[in-house]
This record gives sequence, structure tokens and C-alpha cells, in this order.
Amino acid sequence: MNRQANPNTRDAKAATTKKTFSRETSVSTTIFADPAIVWALLTHASDIPRWNSTVTSVKGEIKEGETIELKSTLDAKRTFKLKVKEFVPEKRLVWGDAMGNRVYTLVKGDGGGVHFSMTEKIGGPLFPLFAGAIPSFDESFERYAADLKKEAETIQRSKK
Amino acid sequence: MTTEELTTQFVTIQGELKSFLLRMTASVQDAEDIVQETYLKAHAKIDTFRGESSLKTWVFSIASNLAKDLLKSKKRWPENVTDICKDAALGNRRFFQEAMQIRQSSPQGNFEIKEHIAFCFTCVSKSLPLEGHLVLLLKEVYNFKVREISQILQMSEAMVKYHLHVSRNKMIKIFDHRCSLINKEGICYQCTELNGIFNPKQKAQEELVKIEMAREADNRSRDELFDLRMKILQELDPFESGAAELQLHHLEHNRQVMEKHLEENS
Repeated sequence: MNRQANPNTRDAKAATTKKTFSRETSVSTTIFADPAIVWALLTHASDIPRWNSTVTSVKGEIKEGETIELKSTLDAKRTFKLKVKEFVPEKRLVWGDAMGNRVYTLVKGDGGGVHFSMTEKIGGPLFPLFAGAIPSFDESFERYAADLKKEAETIQRSKK
Repeated sequence: MTTEELTTQFVTIQGELKSFLLRMTASVQDAEDIVQETYLKAHAKIDTFRGESSLKTWVFSIASNLAKDLLKSKKRWPENVTDICKDAALGNRRFFQEAMQIRQSSPQGNFEIKEHIAFCFTCVSKSLPLEGHLVLLLKEVYNFKVREISQILQMSEAMVKYHLHVSRNKMIKIFDHRCSLINKEGICYQCTELNGIFNPKQKAQEELVKIEMAREADNRSRDELFDLRMKILQELDPFESGAAELQLHHLEHNRQVMEKHLEENS
């Protein structure tokens, strides 16, 4: 097992755990906003590219059982077809494909903040064959978390 | 509250309510129907009004629910609604004949660029998701507070803020891309083109200088220009202005074009 932390200086640091047949990247941060705002930002598909610099388009509806088509800056030419597997409002969202799952969790903290975490685990028996061709997710995850935090806190602070 | 008190207060709210409903539905008929239905519902439920909010907030809540019921099954309009409707109008001789007749004979048949800016916003804002459209109008045009909108739409204050933020950003982006009044590279000139048709002796540039949003386009941020656009809507009553009949005729044309367009593309 080889655990690496991204050296970039950002609020939320991503960490990747590599194993022979899988790779898992996680990032977490505290967001000072109502969980409803964070959840709305995470799940209103067509609005995601507006605030999220790592996503260029999302087609479809983020609802349990639905399939979305997502394009990311990680691989601009590829469209990821992802099935929404869990959808627990303001708590947990899971989507994924045959390669793996992305899990988002929100936990309301005592100090008015929301603990946000995002984890993606990819792998399988053939993973060692193509592992080298899959780019690191660390920087993209850090940007995702930073963009989400910035946007949610901007909305939270907006005028009454 | 007695029926008489309700009626008296309703009359003072009615104008704003009707304008709000017109901007939601883009239909004079629907706006008038919902105003009437709102009064009947308010009258029937007057015993449940406990004064926890203002009567205006309560009445707007009833009307918003009726508008949502009407609009939730209808498709939203596309962002380029004005392009689609312009093409349709150019191929419709009757539309221009009727418009010119209104221009010449009606006391509410003036063409003013400012009025067209408000009209344009009404059409383009129908591209927003329904909840976002309601929140944006209630906050930015009808000056309700976030707490009041939360009561009107029965949604959390956090979600009101979310919809407001997203809708504002979306509209700012659309107008920045399209509107030549605020961006020299904007692709839409319809308000000045129509001014040339209806007011051939006027110089559009001189008219534009009278509009703060156009005058300040180079000096203000996109957010501030959007606020100036909202100020234009706040100051105009689409049923009472000097251009009302002409603009309502134009709006009805666009509504019919959109219904056909959305049906053909469904």
C-alpha cells in the first residue's frame, strides 16, 4: 500500500491510496453553509459546470436510479456514463460505473458547518493493466472541494 | 380579518400581483384568471389567515401556488426565445400590421426601449427553472425578503438563497452574451431595431442615453447592470404603462410562437 498526499497548498487536501487492484482518492473539507445549499449544488446537474471548474458538462438528472453523462477536465474527450446508486438528501450520494464508485457524504457539524467528503474507488481484476493510464485525481478533487466550498459559502452569505 | 378588509387590501395588492403573474405566465388571460382565483381562495380561507405574515405575503403565496400548478406541466422556454420569436414575426405580416395599428391608434401604443427591456426579461426569464423564476421575480422585482419568499414558496431560506444565486447568475450570463446594450459584442439588437420601426424619427443612441443601464454599461459590473435591469422592471407596470398594449400584443405573439415551438420540439 502506498499512501500519497498531494503537495499543492489548498484548503482541502486529497489523499490517494494505491493497491494492486484498486485506487482510492478522497478529499474532505468543512463548508460553512446550510446542508441544503451544499446538496443543491451537488445534485442540480445542469448547474454544476457553472461553479465547478473540474466538470464541463452533466446531462441527465441526479436522482436515484437515473444515469447521467458527465464530462470532466480530467479527460475532456471522454463521456462518463454514471448510474446514481444512492441518493439520501443532504447526507449521501453515490454514483458509479463498472470501474468504481464515487461517494459524497455530508455530515452536519456542531459549529454550523457541514463536513463534506468525496471518495472515489476504482479497480477490479484488470486494474493493473490500465492503472498507469489513469491520471491522478488529487488535484481535480481538491479543486472540486474548493469550488464547492467557495460557492456554497458565497450563497450562504448572500443578501437577505 | 373581515371580508371587507380583505377586499380593500386585495385591491391595493392586485396591480402588483397581476404584473407578477403576467411575468410568470406570459399570458394576460392566465394572469387575470389567477388573480381572480387567488381572491376567491383568499376569501374562502380568510379564517386561516392568522397574521403571521403580511396579507400581501399570504396572497402572493396563494397566487404562487396557483401559478406553479399551471406551469409545472409546461416546458420552460429556451434562452434564445427572442431569436425564435423574431424569425416567426418576420414571417408573419399580420403581426406587424396589428402592431402598427396599435402604435397609431392606442394611447398605450408607444414603443419605448425601456419597456422592451422589461418585455425581453419576461421572455428570457421563462428559461429559468420554475422555482428559480419565482424566487428571482419575488426578490428582485417585487422586493420580498428571503424570509417572506420562504413563506410564500414554502421552502427553506437556504434554498431561497440558492435559487436566487443560481437564477441571477444564469440571467447575468445570458444577457452578457446576448444584450448589445450592456456588451458591445452582444448578439441581440431587437430593442433598437424595433425602435427604428416604430419610432423612425428617433435616434436610438439618444434614447439609449436616457436608460441608466445602457449609459453605465462600460462603468458598472455585470451584477450592477443586472440590478439596473431589475430597477427598470420594478418601475414599470406592464398593464398600465404607455407601451402596455403594444408590448402585451408582442408578448401574446411570443407566447403563441413558444407554445408551437415547444410542441414541435417535444
